[in-house]
Amino acid sequence: MLSQTVVKRLKEIVGEKNVVTDKVGLLTYGYDGTLLSGEALGVVSPTTTDQVVEIVKLMNEHDIKLVPRGAGTNESGGTIPSQEAVVISFTKMTKIHEIDTENFVAVVEPGVINFDLQVELAKQNFYFPPDPSSFKASTIGGNLGECSGGPKCFKYGVTRDYMLGLEVVLPNGKVIQTGGRNFQSEPGYDLTRIIVGSEGILGLVTKVFVRILPIPRAKKTMLALYDKVEDASQTVADIVAAGIIPTTLELMDNLLINTTEDFTHAGLPRDAGAVLIIEVDGYPEDMDEQVKTIGEIASKIAKEFKVAQTAVEVDQIWTSRRSAFGSVARVRPSYGVNDITVPRSNFPKAIGGVLKVAKDFGVTIGVVAHAGDGNLHPLILFDQRNKEETETVHKAEQALCMMALDLEGTISGEHGIGLVKKKYLDKEFTPAAMEAFRKIKRSFDPTNRFNPGKIIDL
Amino acid sequence: MSNVNISKLKEIVGEANVIDSSSEMTKYLKGSGKPAVVVLPGKTSEVSSIVKLANEQNVKLAVGGAVVNTQGITGGIAMVMSRMNQIVEMDKLNLVAIVEPGLLHKDFILKVAETGLNFPPEPYEVETSSIGGCFSIGDSDSKSFEYGPTRTFLLGFEMVLPTGEILEIGNKCIKNVSGLDFIHFAVGSQGTFGIFTKLLVKLLPQPEAKKAVIGTFASLHKANATFNTLIKRNVHPTRMNLINASFAKIAKPGTEGQLVIIDLQGFKESGKNIANEVASVLTLAGGLDVKIIEDAVEYDEVINGWLKVRAELNAKPERTVEFVVGPMKMPQALAQLEALTGDLGAYPGVIVEGLLGYVGLALPEGTEKLAFATKVNKLAMSLGGNVKGLLGHKLKAEVYNDAEMWKQTTSLLNELRQQFDPKGILSPGVSLEA
Repeated sequence: MLSQTVVKRLKEIVGEKNVVTDKVGLLTYGYDGTLLSGEALGVVSPTTTDQVVEIVKLMNEHDIKLVPRGAGTNESGGTIPSQEAVVISFTKMTKIHEIDTENFVAVVEPGVINFDLQVELAKQNFYFPPDPSSFKASTIGGNLGECSGGPKCFKYGVTRDYMLGLEVVLPNGKVIQTGGRNFQSEPGYDLTRIIVGSEGILGLVTKVFVRILPIPRAKKTMLALYDKVEDASQTVADIVAAGIIPTTLELMDNLLINTTEDFTHAGLPRDAGAVLIIEVDGYPEDMDEQVKTIGEIASKIAKEFKVAQTAVEVDQIWTSRRSAFGSVARVRPSYGVNDITVPRSNFPKAIGGVLKVAKDFGVTIGVVAHAGDGNLHPLILFDQRNKEETETVHKAEQALCMMALDLEGTISGEHGIGLVKKKYLDKEFTPAAMEAFRKIKRSFDPTNRFNPGKIIDL
Repeated sequence: MSNVNISKLKEIVGEANVIDSSSEMTKYLKGSGKPAVVVLPGKTSEVSSIVKLANEQNVKLAVGGAVVNTQGITGGIAMVMSRMNQIVEMDKLNLVAIVEPGLLHKDFILKVAETGLNFPPEPYEVETSSIGGCFSIGDSDSKSFEYGPTRTFLLGFEMVLPTGEILEIGNKCIKNVSGLDFIHFAVGSQGTFGIFTKLLVKLLPQPEAKKAVIGTFASLHKANATFNTLIKRNVHPTRMNLINASFAKIAKPGTEGQLVIIDLQGFKESGKNIANEVASVLTLAGGLDVKIIEDAVEYDEVINGWLKVRAELNAKPERTVEFVVGPMKMPQALAQLEALTGDLGAYPGVIVEGLLGYVGLALPEGTEKLAFATKVNKLAMSLGGNVKGLLGHKLKAEVYNDAEMWKQTTSLLNELRQQFDPKGILSPGVSLEA
């Protein structure tokens, strides 16, 4: 429990209505996209950088830890107050300071919702390429903290590739600026890069300079249907070998085709083993040839290949894909999302590996994947209330992680480590690399005050 | 500081790979420092043993690909990586390569092209730059708008830490957010976190077509104005570069006036149309000898000319000031700059990377760099930019009158360096104080 003195000071800093200490209020900030939960000592929602500084200083005086939080949609447990800590919620720092399309930069506060930024940008025919499936709810600060990906990474990269500069409040309460409005602005070391994806364990980001791009002049969305998942992965390999870089190569298996159909009625054939959504973008005059090449490649194996003809068709396809995670709730009450990633050439083996884990552990697994990146999201469906089943699921998840590492991959392609995957981190990294992480954490936060227990322990 | 144990070094790498006669050493060195010895390791374990030895004896050590900068290593060890120059693996399926750090950048580009692939980062220096150096410096270049800065192309590495320990990190996945991002953080750390001994590099397919459009202009400002026109027309070439008249003669002997080089890497169909569009924009703006270059040999000549100018600037950091502004603010930046420099066409060297809003200036003899950079930084800040890098941060903090921020930044940088290199052995010539 927070002392009355601390609560009073917090209210003085951010205003009465921006401090939560009641039980019900605290509960709602104890969850994220995972099945984990915790209870914060209090929740404080600053609206300015100065307030963040004041909060950090106050917490230091009273030796209280801080857990930063955006919309809490992450899939890693990164925002769970797992130790005694105050949650600092950035959802009230929602200003878009500036959109400067002429110079390809936008300046935003961390609580801006990705979708809201996209809407503003779209008015000027621009966009911010990282758009994780959670983008209608997740914040730029959260995207930054977890270094989110999304369906466009094969061509456009992840969040880190669009961060030009940051304003950061350090654990000692001091403010620094990393990078700037342009490339080539880093001070000696690339501090922006080490903060992106650090889940708030190094500093609290209060302002973000993001790189924005003009919306490509043309885009084509294609759909290929297969009897087997393995067939779809062959198409992926062939497209890459042909030297084409699609923006998107999204795969869903039969289970997810069916759960999303229940939900969206987009007209995907329920008996298909897998669907591949392929998208290319660029100049209009280059589209036909790429579509033709992709069509030829896909048609070698696919049972059906079609090019979306209207915007409505494109929307339908994407509604299916974006509702994939949510749609499985109709099958079983709980699901665990995995984020394993393997080198592209090992993708077919990884698919095989997922099927084997499902069989070995007797669990139901649906697969949605950013196939071009080798990034799979096997969704394990179960009922959290069944302890025994939950235990089995944890074992199956561990097996998936180990399988990915055996295939020279990683346990996280875009969701981050947080609490969920922390226990596997030393399986992926050597002791020297783990120690490098600790050296970095110690340099920023020697007393382990910011988001303690996430990614690594000191 | 104790003396370097030369005989121990010879035990580690073999007699032939330790050079301690000062006349033989010179070809591996640049700068005024006087290292005791040049050592050429052949494998990671040797690098590790050498660094451990340097630790035991508390001797400073600096590293280079073909040539080592000797600043700060008088009496110490200069380590040359040129024997570690193999491509360990070229993996076409995954579009990655594993490379040793001493491989020359230019040789790597050739090998990659032979495989039908593309490694976009530009060499810092055309002849001597190595792949290890490429990522140690880890800059942006004039292709970064399209391809991303150099760090984008590093997926992992093997590194010998300042303590001699070997660290391996990364994998062939193009998407990887596991752990803290030490992979990209190490890019640009200039050998202060450790010595790269293997690099896992991301590659791309070769573009279907490459073309260039060049033209010359009597006025630097008119030449630069075409960039604004192109950006407004939503044309974003691979490179959109401008070289002033003095430097243009290095890029393309015989050039009269300011040289514009537009590089178009992409698809055949759109490439044709964009080349025509660019050529007419240049011509309408008063460009002379505007030419679309499709011939591969001629194209390479033009690009190599650009790289030569870039290298000329990179070679003399103490005589160079670089800054960035918003790309569309460039006309104002150049106009205001001219008030400081006089006619930019006649200045010793000016290059503009239009899409990045970058300007590189080769200073005339006798210019006081810091005073000049301070003025340039003020100008750049008023146009949404700053002087590049660490110096820029220092000057920005001065403008904000925020000594605290600068102090915090440098103390953080030094703490990081200290954590990795507690004895201060590696790359002592690299300053984090600007």
